[in-house]
Amino acid sequence: MTTALYLTRRVLQALAVILIVTIVVFCLLHALPGGPARGVLGVSATPAQITAFNQAQGLDQALPVQYLRFLGRLLTGDLGTSYTLNEPVSQLIAERLPKTLVLTGISAVLGLVVAIPVGMLQAARRNGAVDYAATALAFVFYSTPAFFLGLVLIIVFSQQLPWLPSQAPSGNTLAEVFQDPAGLVLPVVTGALAMIAVFSRYMRASTLENLQEDYVRTARAGGASTMTILRRHVFRNSLTPVVAMLGYYLPVLFGGALVTEQLFNYPGMGLLFWNAAQSSDYPTLLGCVLVISIATVIGTLLADVAQSLIDPRVKASRA
Amino acid sequence: MSAVQLAPEAPGAPVTVAATGFRLAARRFRGNTLAVIGLAVIVVIVLFCFVGPLLYPTDQTHTLLEQANQGPSAAHWLGTDAVGHDVLGRLMYGGKVSLMVGIAAGVLATVVGTLWGSVAGYVGGWVDALMMRVVDAGIAIPALFILLVISAITTPGVAGLILILGLVSWLVPSRLIRAETLTLKNRDYVLTLRAIGGSHARAIGKHLLPNSVSTIVVAATFQVADAILLVAYVSYLGLGVQPPATDWGGMLSAGLTAAYSGRWWLIVPPGLAVILIVCAFNAVGDGLRDAFDVRGR
Amino acid sequence: MTTEPILRTSDLGVSFSTESGTVSAVRGVSLTVAPGETLALVGESGSGKSTVALAAMGLLSGNATATGSAEVAGHQVVGASEPSLRALRGSTVSMVFQEPATALDPLTRVGAQIAEVIRNHRTVTAAQAATEAVDLLRRVGIPSPEQRARSFPFQLSGGQRQRVVIAMAIANSPKLLIADEPTTALDVTVQAEILELLRKLAVDTGTGVLLVTHNMGVVADFADRVAVMLQGEIVENGGVEDVLLRPEHEYTKRLLAAVPRLDVAGDRPAAPVGAGSADAAAGRPGAAPVVDLRAVSVTFGRGARAVHALQGIDIAVHAGETVGLVGESGSGKSTAARVALGLIKPTSGTVSLFGQDLRSAKGRDRRALRSGIGVVLQDPVASLDARMSVAECIAEPLAVHRRGMSSADRRRRIDEVLDAVRLPRTLASRAPRELSGGQRQRVSLARALVLEPRLLVADEPTSALDVSVQETVLEVLGELQDDLGFACLFVSHDLAVVQHFAERVVVMRQGVVEEQGTTGTTLLHPTTDYTRRLLAAVPVPDPVLQRQRRTERLASLAAVTA
Repeated sequence: MTTALYLTRRVLQALAVILIVTIVVFCLLHALPGGPARGVLGVSATPAQITAFNQAQGLDQALPVQYLRFLGRLLTGDLGTSYTLNEPVSQLIAERLPKTLVLTGISAVLGLVVAIPVGMLQAARRNGAVDYAATALAFVFYSTPAFFLGLVLIIVFSQQLPWLPSQAPSGNTLAEVFQDPAGLVLPVVTGALAMIAVFSRYMRASTLENLQEDYVRTARAGGASTMTILRRHVFRNSLTPVVAMLGYYLPVLFGGALVTEQLFNYPGMGLLFWNAAQSSDYPTLLGCVLVISIATVIGTLLADVAQSLIDPRVKASRA
Repeated sequence: MSAVQLAPEAPGAPVTVAATGFRLAARRFRGNTLAVIGLAVIVVIVLFCFVGPLLYPTDQTHTLLEQANQGPSAAHWLGTDAVGHDVLGRLMYGGKVSLMVGIAAGVLATVVGTLWGSVAGYVGGWVDALMMRVVDAGIAIPALFILLVISAITTPGVAGLILILGLVSWLVPSRLIRAETLTLKNRDYVLTLRAIGGSHARAIGKHLLPNSVSTIVVAATFQVADAILLVAYVSYLGLGVQPPATDWGGMLSAGLTAAYSGRWWLIVPPGLAVILIVCAFNAVGDGLRDAFDVRGR
Repeated sequence: MTTEPILRTSDLGVSFSTESGTVSAVRGVSLTVAPGETLALVGESGSGKSTVALAAMGLLSGNATATGSAEVAGHQVVGASEPSLRALRGSTVSMVFQEPATALDPLTRVGAQIAEVIRNHRTVTAAQAATEAVDLLRRVGIPSPEQRARSFPFQLSGGQRQRVVIAMAIANSPKLLIADEPTTALDVTVQAEILELLRKLAVDTGTGVLLVTHNMGVVADFADRVAVMLQGEIVENGGVEDVLLRPEHEYTKRLLAAVPRLDVAGDRPAAPVGAGSADAAAGRPGAAPVVDLRAVSVTFGRGARAVHALQGIDIAVHAGETVGLVGESGSGKSTAARVALGLIKPTSGTVSLFGQDLRSAKGRDRRALRSGIGVVLQDPVASLDARMSVAECIAEPLAVHRRGMSSADRRRRIDEVLDAVRLPRTLASRAPRELSGGQRQRVSLARALVLEPRLLVADEPTSALDVSVQETVLEVLGELQDDLGFACLFVSHDLAVVQHFAERVVVMRQGVVEEQGTTGTTLLHPTTDYTRRLLAAVPVPDPVLQRQRRTERLASLAAVTA
């Protein structure tokens, strides 16, 4: 299959998924008390305004028609207005999203940089002391709720040992965030530990599987050492399923680890969402869900495209 | 046998079969120390939560301000909380909810996921494509966010909580079961059955499902682990059961501010309990997967 | 001139520690390979021949323990340290494996993989290694080696991939080349080419070759000396002509007798196994065919990527006759069988079963038609559901078509078919896991016969079995056909088996029927070039005859290219 055909197919699939997401959000919008009128006009709208709005917008019309209008609004970037902050939701998100990406992005990079070599090492020295220790640690961190982990880290490193601040840098711009790097440490570590736990297990399993493959035996027959084989052949082949797993991590990347942001009071998407939930600020809630989901779908699409460029088999074969 | 076999196949030659005998799987599981410990931990915690209150009865519904905020002592082994409830008793009480909701939600998620995935995998074609796009959409929407939105609309009871958590988590098992179904449906014994006129119902009921059991069981175990964790998150955010009922996540949420001022007994027990039970289920799931030789998570 | 043997094993033993205890795979094996000589190590599955090969390279798995001695060019391999073994592997001794499909790293270009072996043992620059890799590709006969070096393994055919593996093996001019079933996974014409390549390389460089194989024809074609292994021990050892033409040990005699031999023009034709039905075939043409494919085409995929698996083929099987469907990979023979079974719908053309068009028949009629078919497929492991007992597997067609049968009747029928396939009745309560491959295929056969079918479709039913087991299964099949008189559509890539088993043969190539006719005429006096080449490429287990055939074959190939 040519690259163009493959890409078209994937883009169409992504569009289908986005469409389904908008349907889900639309249904939720209509399940809300007060309905979409409130969502657009804000909480201070009077009943008269709401009735006028409903008539003007044709909210008495059939649902499919309303859905199309909803889609139309989305395409112009209108996500409604926040009840509590009285700003357009799209603007709020545009402010907060980059900050979340910084936090979760750094966590992810840190997590992967540690997880991938650790997983490979575990597989190379299977059932050794390092393997057991790393497995036990992975299980523990894997099973620890992020808020508990964060809490423990704060108590240990902020209270008992006053090394690091317990609050993440607050501030409206990215530049302000970076002025206080120490404040980023604990939230980043909280996110990274969870990631290391998950991805080291995947890398270990994937590497173990690849070590059983025939091409490893061929390379050994050619005189290569185990470490060389791992480095030159097994590593790349083992990455493929791990990269696929990153797709499941994208919602976290965009949405921010909700509880982490809330715990450390970091002004990102997660905290925005949390505050909106506390004050029943539906437009913000739904706007966030929509943006995060669509960003995830696009992210997955880009990841697939990248993989097709790297892995020659994917390029040539059917997705 | 009248025909002489010239060379019987070697006794130790590994025979790769579609399903490992149950006895062999049990033996492998028993040899996995971590998994056996996990199973023991689960049993102990279940007993602790359900039989414990009979041996150590405490009042978990009334406010008893005169014994509030006490540290661990002989009378209250893990101290008391801000409204006077005994923490150890509350741990048992909350554990019941965490476990029940977690296990039920995990099982529900697996059942729904199995149905969805096996239908998609078996039917194939555009039906499969559509069903999988729905799964993709579900995965793209962050679970916690959806849960918060739903809770902003209604306050679910325990049953509602189980339903919602299950409906948010069925996506991952559906992909696993679909992959398993795709592999199994092209096995020779299924093709043979179809060739001689066997129905789809028979292929699914007699061959596909029984051979997927090990994958489903492993998936269910991991789903329960994830569900218990998710319940903790949900309760921590204040969306779970309402006071005076509680679960471990709720205990963590309630004890948050107190923890900063040194009252560690309010958060360490529930936190450790969550870690322990989720760890245990994950270890058992890992052990089952190795014992049955199942691929994928 | 006495030269040191390049490989010498003395009392070599290997045992494996498994979940079910310690298993001794190899015992007391002593053999030698002289420089420039090819020793074939022959045996069936479980004989330990592959284990000996791996032991010589120090490539045994972690749970294996080796005892005794194995010396390669004077270096002791048993108990040697990993670094010393690494120095030997790929430079003094190399190995070529069985499965070319998985032998190469899918994400690295083939030129780079060859260069890696070079640089493992010699200090050369990357550029030099790359140039050498291209030269090696040329030596192993890959066209346009400069472009090919930049290909990924999935872009090459099975035969080409095996050539790449061979290039990696000869990159550092090894003194000993070990080839473990190097051509088993390849088509017979490709096999002939690869064997020719190996022989030429060995002769050019004076390399000793240890050839592990179960195929007696390959042995006759290639080897100078033969060692026969049975259950971990060597039972016979000698020159290739002595062992193959004048075997001494009982096992060797039985093994050679079980090998189906391709009769070639000029030989006295052997009587086919299904001799009874051969006479009847003459008086058959008038009756309606049991299965009839007319102008059937099957296309998978769309547009530029479409695969034309079948292109307008006509195949018919009449009542009581056996038709062999032969061809190499990609010929479409399996697809044709599946069309006949109704598992694949043809893109165009008609399929009739017992005189009725499959597409127009609906529901109950269609199911009734299908009750007249029995199916036996290739893989003995996957053909039986491991979760059901043997009795349940055999009774499945009864559960589909004869629901009203009482359990006593069912039991009786199961016993009857078990007797027919010469398996003990006690096997009925066992699980498939406890049976050997040959027993499983016979259970599959029993299941196929339980409804007294008029047509048996067998897709490579014995290809995964040892040659001795294959003989039993084919014997049973032949007898049953004589007794019960069903028609049989027999798909196989093994021309010798088809020659002995089928009355008519259909030769397929890339989705088209090359030629068809009675086995006697088509396989002895083929009318098309393709069939002639196919027959010429099949090695026969007679070294003298095979040498002659090889010369003739090479001569005719040279004539074509000249």
